[in-house]
Amino acid sequence: MAISIRDNFFLTSQEAQPPMVRNEHGHPSFTLTVDGKTLQAYEGQTILSVAIDNGISDIPNLCNDEKLEPTSACRMCLVHVEGAERPLPSCNTPAEPGMVVTTNSDELFHIRRTNLEMMLSDHNAYCQPPCQVDCPTHIDIPGYLELIAQGEMKEAARLVKEVLPFPFTLGLTCPAPCQKACRRTLVDEEIAICRMHGHAAETCLLDPPLPYVQDPPTGKKVAVVGGGPSGMTAAFYLAMRGHYCKIFDMQPQAGGMLRYGIPEYRLPKDMMDREFAQLWDMGIDFQANVKLGRDFTIDDLFAQGFDAVYLAIGCWTSNDLRVPGEDAEGVVNAIRYLGDKVEGKPVPVKDGDEVIVIGGGFTAFDCTRTSLRLGAKVHTMYRRGRTEMGATTEEVEDGEAEGTHLQLYVSQTRVVSENGRVTGVEFQRNKLGEPDASGRRRPVPVPGSEFVLNCDTVIPAIGQAVDTSVLDDASGIKWTKWKTIQTNPHNFMSDREGVFAGGDCQMGAKTIIEGVAQGKLNARSIHSYLMGEDMNEVARRLELEERRPDLFDIVPYKPVEPKVKMPMLPYEQREKSFGLIEMGYLKEQAQREASRCLQCACPAAGQCDLQKYSIEHGLADNRFHDGEPSDYHDYDLDLSHSFILRDPNKCINCTQCVRVCHDVIGPDCYGMFGKGFDTIVSTPFNVSLHDTDCVSCGACVQVCPTGSLMMAERELARYSFALDRCIFCGDCVEVCPHGALGETPNFELSFFNRFGEDVTLEKNDLANAPDYLVRQRLPRGKKALPVMSPLVRPLPARSIRD
Amino acid sequence: MPKFEQSHRLLRQNTDADVRSLSAYRGISGYAALEKALRELTPEQVNQQVIDAKLRGRGGAGRLAGEKWRIVRESEDEQKYVICNAYDADARSLAARTLLERNPHQVIEGILLAAYAVGATEAYLVTRSTTPEGATAVQQALQEATEANLVGRDILSTDFSCTINVLGVDIGFMGGEETVQMAVIKGRRGMPEQRPPFPAQYGLWDKPTAINSIETLVNVPGIIRDGAVAFASAGSASTGGTKILTIYASPGSEPTVVEVPFGASLGDILEHAGLHPTESDVRAIVVGGAEGGALPLSLLNTPYDFDPLEEAGAIVGSGIIEVLPSNTCMVSWARERSAYLSKESCGKCVPCRLGVKRITGILEGVVSDLGVNGDLDVLDEFAEYVPNGSLCGFGVQATNPLKTAKRYWPEHFTSHIQELQCPTGTCVPVRAHRFVTKHVLP
Repeated sequence: MAISIRDNFFLTSQEAQPPMVRNEHGHPSFTLTVDGKTLQAYEGQTILSVAIDNGISDIPNLCNDEKLEPTSACRMCLVHVEGAERPLPSCNTPAEPGMVVTTNSDELFHIRRTNLEMMLSDHNAYCQPPCQVDCPTHIDIPGYLELIAQGEMKEAARLVKEVLPFPFTLGLTCPAPCQKACRRTLVDEEIAICRMHGHAAETCLLDPPLPYVQDPPTGKKVAVVGGGPSGMTAAFYLAMRGHYCKIFDMQPQAGGMLRYGIPEYRLPKDMMDREFAQLWDMGIDFQANVKLGRDFTIDDLFAQGFDAVYLAIGCWTSNDLRVPGEDAEGVVNAIRYLGDKVEGKPVPVKDGDEVIVIGGGFTAFDCTRTSLRLGAKVHTMYRRGRTEMGATTEEVEDGEAEGTHLQLYVSQTRVVSENGRVTGVEFQRNKLGEPDASGRRRPVPVPGSEFVLNCDTVIPAIGQAVDTSVLDDASGIKWTKWKTIQTNPHNFMSDREGVFAGGDCQMGAKTIIEGVAQGKLNARSIHSYLMGEDMNEVARRLELEERRPDLFDIVPYKPVEPKVKMPMLPYEQREKSFGLIEMGYLKEQAQREASRCLQCACPAAGQCDLQKYSIEHGLADNRFHDGEPSDYHDYDLDLSHSFILRDPNKCINCTQCVRVCHDVIGPDCYGMFGKGFDTIVSTPFNVSLHDTDCVSCGACVQVCPTGSLMMAERELARYSFALDRCIFCGDCVEVCPHGALGETPNFELSFFNRFGEDVTLEKNDLANAPDYLVRQRLPRGKKALPVMSPLVRPLPARSIRD
Repeated sequence: MPKFEQSHRLLRQNTDADVRSLSAYRGISGYAALEKALRELTPEQVNQQVIDAKLRGRGGAGRLAGEKWRIVRESEDEQKYVICNAYDADARSLAARTLLERNPHQVIEGILLAAYAVGATEAYLVTRSTTPEGATAVQQALQEATEANLVGRDILSTDFSCTINVLGVDIGFMGGEETVQMAVIKGRRGMPEQRPPFPAQYGLWDKPTAINSIETLVNVPGIIRDGAVAFASAGSASTGGTKILTIYASPGSEPTVVEVPFGASLGDILEHAGLHPTESDVRAIVVGGAEGGALPLSLLNTPYDFDPLEEAGAIVGSGIIEVLPSNTCMVSWARERSAYLSKESCGKCVPCRLGVKRITGILEGVVSDLGVNGDLDVLDEFAEYVPNGSLCGFGVQATNPLKTAKRYWPEHFTSHIQELQCPTGTCVPVRAHRFVTKHVLP
């Protein structure tokens, strides 16, 4: 008939209780044991509040708040109480004299972790976008994809330009680490994140947006040595900050490796120049055909009045093959080969030649595919396997489809030449051995497997290095053992004050996007240096900003939607053609593809208790994915309220908002809706929050342990205050979720001082109050905001009508 | 076989006189116990008699009712309450409505005696509004009793006063939970509260509250009138008195209501109800209603009492005994029970709201022949997790069907998982996708 459990019943009224003692404050208290420690407790305290008062803060809880009646819904604060059959929630169980409590055990950990797994199994939301974390420049990817989905292409380009000045160029050339992290793969296929910002920027290439308003000129001058992606990025953001920038480059035109290392079929240079034109419009100067070390030194730059120097000289030296015979005629420098092709100079490959390209990175495939387009027969030779290649899978597959003869696990042993001219290369086959320092398995030669491949030209593309000859010891710059420029790892200042370095010359040959990211960080660091900040503090700040956050991956219930494929130039049309192979999206295609984004961006990430506890409990797997639609909920958002945004998909039914609205504030806007598995916190009759008695106090947002309730951005208004009607009840102090109001020890007053001098209320008592008692703020998570220090100045008494 | 006829005390048989009116009830010495208590006994003595009779709560918990009352009585609070739980959580149980319909005055007398024993002046009776006959009968009786000065101020011209309010609600299975009823009386959503603190110390409006099942209270007049020894003459050594059971010969059949002494074996009870189950046509006996456990026929000699039933995996629960036919697939049965319970949960605590739903999902996978061996481990894990983590008795008992089905019919699970066929050939697929595990922490 009734539902009840056969739990043992304490006959507390009968048992002889240890006598109450009085503690140092004179309050009656008793002792109990928590985790072997004897603690003092007041009558009527719960176990949880005793633990918190005594510094035991490792009892997790998601539904408790000190100013609310406990509800014990989340079951996270369960503890063992000696004599009880089942674990009891510490938030609700009264402390009793002589109680013996254990707050941690394997069983409790398991129950807590399963609770979290249960909550996350119906948590139709995400924490943080991994694409944004994995992108070296941390573009707001969900942000611009949403803008593209709405057709706001220029605004999307503007958003990208906040951290990446060249979205069009990178859209075509970036290896897209963001796409490897895309969470859409858990539903179907990743999103074409990278191509999307390319598309957005392409639509406004002739009228590019500035990311934000450019600062007025500061009068500071920065010299940027090297006009590649890193140097140009740094110049862009320094110019945004109002500093004068001048770029010095050894090549005739700007772009560095973007121009001279990337073939025309991947990046049309005329389009790239249009994107670069924005920099010249911003007032950045460019001096071509001057080389550091040959035409000028760092001392010269300082002598010319520059306040800081940014070295982004890149890696322009090809590594040697280190085999006999490589100085023969017909062994071609890969970088020079690509550069000459771009400049339209004669190149040593012609129709019908046989070319051997050695290497497996991007440069190797650029050389391969350039040679193919020149009509040559190409062999691409790599000493390890496909998975170890530096180039992306698409690049390798495209190269093969365009006709290269790819051979894996082969190492060159010597270059065969006749009369000083190359006729072939001898190779030896490899097998894989033990992993080396980089984690890749070391190729081990197989004796006797040597063979000779005939050719007219050999293009070694096995890595690039910095040209160390450009800086002498007098420059004050030191080199690392990897022959890169030595800098502070976080603020990028080299051993010479005012000289910064970034990009390939600082980190070794890496991807374009990493160079851009370093340019952006360098601009921040150089700006701070020019503003006279402590560089150690800058390093600390940048390190914190770049630290990889803890992520929590949640796979919600979302319908499958196929990827919109990028239209590509057919293979047969690529022969002997340097036309762009990626033909680009139509606007509708781009919008459709961008709308596939799951918007894995929760504004509460990092403040969310559910996320925090899940990471703490090492919840690596969830066992309840991919069930039927009826196993999950997909609620509509309620964004109608001006200040409070509701996303029931993230609600864990802790009912803190229900209780705070009913018990503390009063309007009673929330309640539990539905029954069983479909129970959800909502408003009366499920109306929009806008239509309830909500007073917009924000207390519900304050207590929400997840991102289910969030404050909308709001413009702070000036609040008028009818002092002649105030009865000093202090209710406003009590309910203010932001601690903006406080009270004196005499409980007299409420004051506000949001606008500094404009304080309206003083009473003589208040003015003379010796100290100011801040009401205790809510202690946890999102609530652990710093207590606003209220400003109470003893002003002379004046009439309230003043 | 015990003499079931002698144990008819509460249930009026068809041959018995109709005692719905006050005069008829007085005719069988009704309200004699109340008069005796008010005029001759102190509240302590009334309470002591109930303790001596070993009257255990019929609601399912099986606690001594007298001990609960003593805690309420000894509390220093001035205001105390009595609540009579006349809400059949399981709508298929007919116990409460039968008592209300046929014995309304005995219910009122029991409530008054409890109020006298604990020192309460306000009592509530919570019942289902879906079966208005019971509520109407008790309200009529209440009217009569009020007019006869048996309820209200200065009852029988003593200084004992007590009002009784009848509350008819329809809030599903959870309405039978005692703290849910207190929430409903307060006008809150029907959700249980964590115990401890127990209602006896911290109940309705935070006051000490004696909340008892209607079956418990209806026994009290007899105890006071005839004494504890007479009461304990029927029943087992540990549990005195009788129990009203609703018996279903098959899941769809018309129910029979019987009254049996505690300690009678399940086989005898079924025989008393006119059923003779045999291995060939009966798969299982479900004892305890929606949250009850299924027992095989080999356990027919289990005595009907709190501890033996719990040992076997079943519960007293709603007081329902149901016979499942031999073509029942126990996996499918556990799935149906779990699906029903996942809809009836109040949705407050995580293990019950989501745990029971996930159990249902896994069982649906097994029934649809999508199960894997690992599912059995997850089911075992959740059969422990949900009771250990849940807030109230609903969650604690919610995995009983699953636990007993796995304990007594493991071959039904392995048949579905390993041979991909239903042991009885009756299951149809109910889902197309089973749950899969995905890595979530990068």
